Amino acid sequence: MTVKSENEKLGQGVGFERIRRITGYLVGTMDKWNDAKRAEERDRVKHGLKNNA
Amino acid sequence: MIQSIIKRDGRVVLYDQNKIASAILRALEAAREGDASDAARVANDVQRELEGRFRDRAPNIEDIQDAVERQLMNHGFIASAKAYILYRANRTRAREANTTLMKNIDEITKIDARISDMKRDNANIDGNTAMGSMLQIGSAGAKAYNEMYLLRPEHAKAYREGDIHIHDFDFYSLTTTCCQIDIQKLFKGGFSTGHGYLREPNSIQSYAALAAIAIQSNQNDQHGGQSIPNFDYGMAEGVAKTYRKAYIRQLTEALEDLLNLEDEEAVIKDLVTTAERSSAETARLENTPAFEQAVANGLVNRYQITKQQAAVLITRVRKRAVKKTDRDTYQAMEGFVHNLNTMHSRAGAQTPFSSINYGTDTSPEGRMVIRNILLALDAGLGHGETCIFPIHIFKVKEGVNYNEGDPNYDLFRLSCKVSAKRLFPNYTFLDAPFNLQYYVPGRPETEVATMGCRTRVMGNVFDPNRQIAYSRGNLSFTSINLPRIAIEAGGDEKLFYARLQEMLELVAQQLLDRFEIQADKHIYNYPFLMGQGVWLDSDKLTMKDDLREVLKHGTLSIGFIGLAEALTALYGNHHGESEEMQKKGLEIIGYMRDYCDKKSQEMKMNFTLLATPAEGLSGRFIRMDQKRFGRIQGVTDREYYTNSFHIPVWYDISVYDKIRLEAPYHALCNAGHISYVELDGDTVRNVEAFESVVRCMHDFGIGYGSINHPVDRDPVCGYVGVIGDVCPRCGRREGESIPAERIEELKKLYPEMPAFRGIQ
Repeated sequence: MTVKSENEKLGQGVGFERIRRITGYLVGTMDKWNDAKRAEERDRVKHGLKNNA
Repeated sequence: MIQSIIKRDGRVVLYDQNKIASAILRALEAAREGDASDAARVANDVQRELEGRFRDRAPNIEDIQDAVERQLMNHGFIASAKAYILYRANRTRAREANTTLMKNIDEITKIDARISDMKRDNANIDGNTAMGSMLQIGSAGAKAYNEMYLLRPEHAKAYREGDIHIHDFDFYSLTTTCCQIDIQKLFKGGFSTGHGYLREPNSIQSYAALAAIAIQSNQNDQHGGQSIPNFDYGMAEGVAKTYRKAYIRQLTEALEDLLNLEDEEAVIKDLVTTAERSSAETARLENTPAFEQAVANGLVNRYQITKQQAAVLITRVRKRAVKKTDRDTYQAMEGFVHNLNTMHSRAGAQTPFSSINYGTDTSPEGRMVIRNILLALDAGLGHGETCIFPIHIFKVKEGVNYNEGDPNYDLFRLSCKVSAKRLFPNYTFLDAPFNLQYYVPGRPETEVATMGCRTRVMGNVFDPNRQIAYSRGNLSFTSINLPRIAIEAGGDEKLFYARLQEMLELVAQQLLDRFEIQADKHIYNYPFLMGQGVWLDSDKLTMKDDLREVLKHGTLSIGFIGLAEALTALYGNHHGESEEMQKKGLEIIGYMRDYCDKKSQEMKMNFTLLATPAEGLSGRFIRMDQKRFGRIQGVTDREYYTNSFHIPVWYDISVYDKIRLEAPYHALCNAGHISYVELDGDTVRNVEAFESVVRCMHDFGIGYGSINHPVDRDPVCGYVGVIGDVCPRCGRREGESIPAERIEELKKLYPEMPAFRGIQ
């Protein structure tokens, strides 16, 4: 929540948006997520493309 | 000798044995186990017990009720004792509910949603706005009422204690979950929103605008997600109308320019209509040589131009009309997406929860729709933001769009490119055997479509001639806490299944109870869903009819959560860890599906098994189980239970194995399912790799899947992609500012960069 600052700098206090899939759908920013789903998102590991079967 | 007792509010009153006897009699009568003389005998023993324990002190109400329970048991009135315990629990609940309700409303009113987990239970509702709070207060009140007055005591207990979860419980007495809206049928002849009548649309712009209105209107009649199963087929009709109009317009203008005429539009309209009649073709995107020949002949007959001139004119007009239609279609799709991300429903508390399905219409108009909706999704919103709604679902089908040479293969490829950037579309696979069995070429209503998080409706036990996706949806669903059953079974498989069977029966009964409430409603309760014939067969109802029979086209779904934790509790490992556990997992879920199928046949209704999305539930169940059982490794030691049949998110596994292991559960969970895999940002930039994952899903028989990858955006420079600590485009860290000149420089490098307005 900020506007141009005096010395013509932009973006003070502006965060990055991080969009993730919550279940089947997306949620705009993660601050709307409930605590359990936030924890789940934090724990997610990436899946490798290698076939290790 | 007991002379007085202490009431709950602390007052001391005279002891009256008759009151105890009549309470006991009520329990005996409810269980049909005894009469007044039995009640007197039990009451005597209650008194004797109290005298032994309290002598001349005054017992309180709880002490007396404990004694009644014990003496009913001693006398062998087991069912009556149970009835009494339930009665007592209910009374306690009634007393506490008022206090809890007020406390909840207090929290909704005073606490910021960012620190109130309760207010973030559904991420789709903004609990900080006035209307959002009003909705939450209404919801809290409805829940308290429903639990007290509408649930059987055993269902209330199971719900309250976390054996089961009744979804959308605030809407228990009000409506059903979701519906696939057949827009082709809806638009024919126009429709009424309940707040005004809309004519049949006549251009792609109005088709798209009305599609958004249809979703919005239906969202007010149901509590779940709204979906369009035939977005491409439906919008294609609008494209055809726009093309025809553009064709007439372009032809008129070209002719007026060539011959220096004015006001020829009416003449040309006639000429085109005549040509359509004589050629039996219409002015449309598809190659229509006979029609064009007829137009050329008409032009030569009517005006002083040669055949060659007419031919040149027609080629040029066609080209321009195609271009204009394509541009209009893009704008319509862009408008549609913007609309669904900004339009309000439920008194402004949320945007409609919407889905659109497409991908299989191979007509030139349908293809134009699919390409442009994908391009609009790719472009994002005004500042390049990723669109949250609608959920896009691309229907994958061999022979239509899956393989090179298929008519829509190019669009499938485009969808992969877009999904790699924007997380949508998701993919539904019509070739999976459990979907293919319903598929009839040329009848898009037999193509499976998805709504909301994952809901799917296809089979129809109630009416086997109507096994279609259109105009149907889920009525309600309730989920079972699988890990708890497993923990309580203590490794005893037999006990686990016995308890699971009990729980399935309990949930089925509860769903039927809820159905009874829903069945008693009328068309006028759902002016759009039922009043406009959106729901299957609702157009055959009169104002007097209840909804019982038409609702039977819908599904009653039993869901579950935490298969992974349940397996770990029962056997020590989950299904990602060994093939043996995979077998056990499939046995459990197969058992549940069998139960649903049997119940369906018994009731001639659609009981289906759901892989529950569990957004709020993942935390609710495990918190209760941690309290009850403590921390059990691999079972209750995290903050959430694993979604449905998924391999736990924290477990290291390849894409290939995750898909291979989860696919067989899709076949079992006929109410809905989804699998996703997590890719890192680099993989996703490689569209070939992305497509190979989608193909892997198709080949293993996944029903519905999507690929997760981080999508970050820096609002200052508009960069969309993966952002670690530092934005790769402008180099700033989170919260830091950068010089305005730097932004100007970047704008030269990235002309499409949206202007940062400083308000985010």
